[in-house]
Amino acid sequence: MEEQVDVPLTEVGPKTSFLSAPISSLSILFSHRFLIQNLLKRETKGRYNNSFLGYSWTVLEPALLSAVYYFLFIMLADNPDRFYPIWVIIGVIVWTCFGKCLQATVTSLTRNASTIHLVYFPRIIFSYSSIGSTVWTTMMSSLVLIPLLLVYDIQISWQLLLVPLAILLAAFNAIGLGLLLAPANCINRDVEHLIRFIVRAGFFVSPVMWTWEMAVERGWAADVVVWNPMVFPITLARDGFLGHVTEFPFHGVMISVGWGLLMWMIGSALFSKYEHSAVKYL
Amino acid sequence: MSEQSIIVEDVSLSFPKKKTVLQILKRNSNSSFLALDNVSLSVKRGEVVGIIGRNGCGKSTLLRIIAGIFSPDQGSSRSAGKISLLAGLGTGFTGHLTGRENAFLYGSILGHEQTVMKELMEEIISFSELETFIDEPLRTYSAGMKARLGLAVASALNPEILLIDEVLGVGDPVFKEKSKKKILDMVAEAGTVVIVSHSFGLMTSICDRVIHMSNGKIKFIGEPKEAIASYYASEERRN
Repeated sequence: MEEQVDVPLTEVGPKTSFLSAPISSLSILFSHRFLIQNLLKRETKGRYNNSFLGYSWTVLEPALLSAVYYFLFIMLADNPDRFYPIWVIIGVIVWTCFGKCLQATVTSLTRNASTIHLVYFPRIIFSYSSIGSTVWTTMMSSLVLIPLLLVYDIQISWQLLLVPLAILLAAFNAIGLGLLLAPANCINRDVEHLIRFIVRAGFFVSPVMWTWEMAVERGWAADVVVWNPMVFPITLARDGFLGHVTEFPFHGVMISVGWGLLMWMIGSALFSKYEHSAVKYL
Repeated sequence: MSEQSIIVEDVSLSFPKKKTVLQILKRNSNSSFLALDNVSLSVKRGEVVGIIGRNGCGKSTLLRIIAGIFSPDQGSSRSAGKISLLAGLGTGFTGHLTGRENAFLYGSILGHEQTVMKELMEEIISFSELETFIDEPLRTYSAGMKARLGLAVASALNPEILLIDEVLGVGDPVFKEKSKKKILDMVAEAGTVVIVSHSFGLMTSICDRVIHMSNGKIKFIGEPKEAIASYYASEERRN
């Protein structure tokens, strides 16, 4: 006679309450860490598949891009700051991290439609693992800064750790908005095209090719750009590279971190509310 | 005491139809497709239930409701124990990863823990007959090899409730027999099985009950032979 264990009947599927969504998403990440590890491996290994230079592209890309901007800047303005290429490299790295994280999160459901139709697990895992792989490649890109420390004869200091911190903050600022829009992108792909445009336009609105100090010199401009949550991470990384903690105004720090936190709470809650109706559109 | 393993109560589910901007502006009313229409079903522990019906009648959608992939618009679906859906073998397979890495990836997607996957790896390699190929990138595999690896990983599952969606018959004839046998073993081991298939011979031999579905509704539940008769009768009426 087979032993009969009494198992209560339970509902399978998404059932997170609205307010606890951000916190429960963290426990989901922990309990599915093996899955996340494998998904990360797929994304990071696939990125430079079949290329001779492989991972060096993560370093080459921002370096080459900065060289182009440097010559452009020399042509436009006569006497460039000798640190200008560095500012552009750091700006490109931090901004690209934000942009790629945002695009990866927004498309995290649509890119994984076939897996979603096969098995149920909390779909927020797809979003976080694409953030994870983007952060990983960005950290790789930031290694380009190490030889530049020697070129510019800058002392190595603990403040250099502010650079990876700024990268993490840039990624965090993308999570909330991405989670908010991922279900919407299932219903209508216009969302992902719109986001691609916003990332391109944001490149100029954020201090990638200009710096916070340039905005301060113009007086009124600083009061406007301080509302851009990406100004702080980029400035933090630049000042960290030079070896000092940033003198960025405190309310600007609050705007950046506050935006990230608020959007993360709203995004997680709405993601868990709408994921199950959104997957019907896949 | 809960003798029931799966209880589906009055479930309705409709899929939205994709619309162009012009259609949204015109506001035409027929904007969704009713895939399941007030379906109720209960499956006892240890029972093997088959589902038949023509394509698009809601068979696969019902399995996905039970598996929790879709949430019903109305009604509820409850189940007791770990559920696995066997469908689209090898979903998530990636060309640039090796067979072994893909096995880990697919296994983790299906809900295996890392320790379990490490233990199962030997069995997966021997069942899939891939041997040294297991550490080659998947893009070098033939379609049959991919199917074998997919089935090897999926069949290493040991769920309490097994849902099977048309996965019989992959690979060459020899492997086809082997895979059929493996799936029948899984059916024998699993506590409860719901299977969607078009091979009526198999359905009559393994199922305790068979459901005939049509247009998102359950037409008939009962003896396999009667369900198949109900299917043919409705097909004739259609013609």
